Amino acid sequence: MTTLDHAKVSESRPNPPKSLITKLNMGTGMIVGIVFAEVMYFWGKSMWDRQEAVMENRILTLSMFAWCIGFLIGIGAFIGPFRWLIGKDLTDEEQLFLAGKGQGVSRYFRYCTDHKVVGIQYLVGVMVMLGAGGTMAMMIRTNLITPGSKWVNAEIYNSLVGLHGITMIVALIIVSTGPFGNFILPIMIGARDMAFPRLNALSWWLLFTAIPVLCSAWFFGGIPTGWTAYAPLSVQAGGGMNAFIVTIIIFAISSAIAGANITTTVVTMRAKGMKWNRVPIFVIGATISVAMAIPAFPSFMASQMMAAFDRTIGTHFYDAEFGGSGWLYAHLFWIMGHPEVYVILIPGVAILMEIAPVFARSPLFSYTTAVVGLAGIVGLSFLVWAHHMYISGWLPSLNGPFMVTTEMISIPTGLLFLVLLGTIWRGRPWMKLPMLGVYALLWNFLIGGITGIYLSDVPADDYLHGSMFVTAHFHYTLMGAALTGAIAGLAYWFPKMTGRMLDERSGYISFWLVQIGFQVLFLGMFAAGSQGQPRRVADYEQAFATSDLISTIGAYLVGIGMIVLLYSVVHSWRKGKIAPMNPWGAKTLEWTVPYPIYLENFHEAPVVTSDPYGYGRSEK
Amino acid sequence: MSTSTEHVMHHDAPEVVGRRERLGVRLIIVADGAFIFAMIFSYFYLRNLNVNNGWLPADGHTFTVSSGWLLALPFIIAAISHNFGQKRRESMGVLSIVTFVVLAIGLVMQWSQLSNMPFMLAEEGGFEGAYASMAFFLGGANLLHYVLGTFVALGIAIRTKRGSSTGTHETWRLRTAGSWFTWLAISAVACAITTSFAAV
Ligand code: HEM
Ligand SMILES: [Cu+2]
Repeated sequence: MTTLDHAKVSESRPNPPKSLITKLNMGTGMIVGIVFAEVMYFWGKSMWDRQEAVMENRILTLSMFAWCIGFLIGIGAFIGPFRWLIGKDLTDEEQLFLAGKGQGVSRYFRYCTDHKVVGIQYLVGVMVMLGAGGTMAMMIRTNLITPGSKWVNAEIYNSLVGLHGITMIVALIIVSTGPFGNFILPIMIGARDMAFPRLNALSWWLLFTAIPVLCSAWFFGGIPTGWTAYAPLSVQAGGGMNAFIVTIIIFAISSAIAGANITTTVVTMRAKGMKWNRVPIFVIGATISVAMAIPAFPSFMASQMMAAFDRTIGTHFYDAEFGGSGWLYAHLFWIMGHPEVYVILIPGVAILMEIAPVFARSPLFSYTTAVVGLAGIVGLSFLVWAHHMYISGWLPSLNGPFMVTTEMISIPTGLLFLVLLGTIWRGRPWMKLPMLGVYALLWNFLIGGITGIYLSDVPADDYLHGSMFVTAHFHYTLMGAALTGAIAGLAYWFPKMTGRMLDERSGYISFWLVQIGFQVLFLGMFAAGSQGQPRRVADYEQAFATSDLISTIGAYLVGIGMIVLLYSVVHSWRKGKIAPMNPWGAKTLEWTVPYPIYLENFHEAPVVTSDPYGYGRSEK
Repeated sequence: MSTSTEHVMHHDAPEVVGRRERLGVRLIIVADGAFIFAMIFSYFYLRNLNVNNGWLPADGHTFTVSSGWLLALPFIIAAISHNFGQKRRESMGVLSIVTFVVLAIGLVMQWSQLSNMPFMLAEEGGFEGAYASMAFFLGGANLLHYVLGTFVALGIAIRTKRGSSTGTHETWRLRTAGSWFTWLAISAVACAITTSFAAV
């Protein structure tokens, strides 16, 4: 146990180890990555004839993987495993260097193992992805402003829809468990770091390599398939599809690593006295989310590998002429896909369940119900995937059972509602920015959930499937619930992550612009969908003109609101009011450490003696 | 209070770290298992659908059942030899080399199977049907397992030779590696069972 003075420690710069580790960073990663990709590309071109689509796909796919591996080599990701291999484990000094000791800002551009650095990297990465996805959303809505606008051509429109979709899905999968799961969660449970610090860095930098790959889709003709990338359409699609496939494979590996890491941390590294019923509910939610991804995402990865083989070496997994089947893809995709929507939702709701007691100043009502609700959702969500396939013709006799399991999910979901309502009910709400998110969620998720029940009804879905109604439904859940929760989490933990308060005024302005714009946008879209407007189509009939115009106006409001939020975050980060150690008077452990947080979080390992929601109870 | 400005790293007890690593590896095994399951599911799905009678190649040929089991054999031997060595540490020096060599042989065997794939279409190029595609996919996953297994086995062999493999933490690690090798054997057997059911 160290008894060192914090100030002194951070002043002194230990002699950094003289090994290769100190020389590598994001820049060397990019250089090696680009060299690898180029070499692969030219070697491929000399080996295979680029005229054939199969060969071109092969060259592109391999070059993209080469970039990823080259980048990881160049940033030093394999130094640890290599040193293990030759039996010369990293020294303490080297490990401290990797943890970013005494490196200032440059550690954000290195293979840094400090969970707080990784959390910030995820936060910035997510903001970039949301910005890109949001820009594409604005372009989609601009094209749909009037019938026949032809603002972009149909091919570009398709790509916009697909890339917007997958960018946002990936961003939302990590939006809470990335920044807060890495930065806040270990402190919240009283741990000194994550269980596997190097894997932590690996999960982030893997994801980082996927971002340019996904962007490159634009240069190879975009993706025409929507985010679901149904085969065999995806097998026939042009070069941009390779980028989609490679992105998903990398992302699946990254999330398996992150999932194993966060789960292990929570299971094995909780502070003394933090029994399972004393674990903050956000920690439970984040763990459930990442743990659920561990068995779910490999099936997505397998589906994309098969698509890659079909495209690059001529296998026939999805081609019915040679014994393949499109249904196979739909199964693999949705066996992942439905659990995945809860991977997205649960951390968002869990953040709000963490926030509600703090700002309502009343204990979480009731912890057990919350955990039972979350567990029920997990159990059921692996049993409902075929509600996305009612109309596909696959075993219609099973539509009934899948309808029942799907509708049953609304029971545990309802429990989460009761938890939030019950917590606010007897409390005395303190209406700060994070708390507003709780109210927004209650409203938005009510609509999202109930329209989900419409869709799970087979006869209703017969009409609504493939329409804008579905699009509106899942935006109410993804954006209205999960993203709202993440933004509330940002407002809540901003002081701990940056040492400054998030500016309230611009925060409120952004909140109301986004929430009002959001209702206009998606209630308009429900109207269009009920009228029968198909989703993912560049143009539409005059009959839908009013609903679409309303939607587009709402979208612009959301866009402006998000720009205000971006301003608020950037401005507050640089010049915001300095935050006290515990601005909200919360009782979880992360509020017991001062900013800047000590490298190993705590001078003395904390001991927990009660649950963190004892508001209004007499102090023992 | 110490006046030194040198930072002292906090170290958890070796058993604690060992247990932690074991859980991490087990969770990775769950992910890998889900992947293997997805492949086996796909295999039987396509086989039982037999769309357009396109499961088997036109002449009905498949790999022999024994070839699938032959490719699983190195994994089984490796798992036994590693786990045996891990319990009797004095024999680890030899057994860790055995584990490595066996897996390296398996790696070469699997590679040569994949690079001499029969069942290819003469004119259009590409694979002759869904069975051939699935066999390639399962073989590819096996190959990846061989690569990962060989890497771990090589590391253990080198570390044992250099004497880095001593101490409580290393004992835990060898045990954890044991569950990884056992899993590789189980998954190879699962794939061999799967490919034993080729004909519709
Ligand atoms: C009460 C809970 C819910 C029910 C009963 C439900 C039901 C459904 C049904 C039946 C569909 C298929 C519609 C169709 O394609 O015809 C659907 C689509 C979808 N749902 Fe939900 N849902 C619920 C909650 C959620 C949540 C919480 C999320 C995400 C956080 C979500 C995200 C999605 C997405 C992304 C799609 C569309 C996928 C696509 O085709 O692109 N849903 N939902
Ligand atoms: Cu679903």
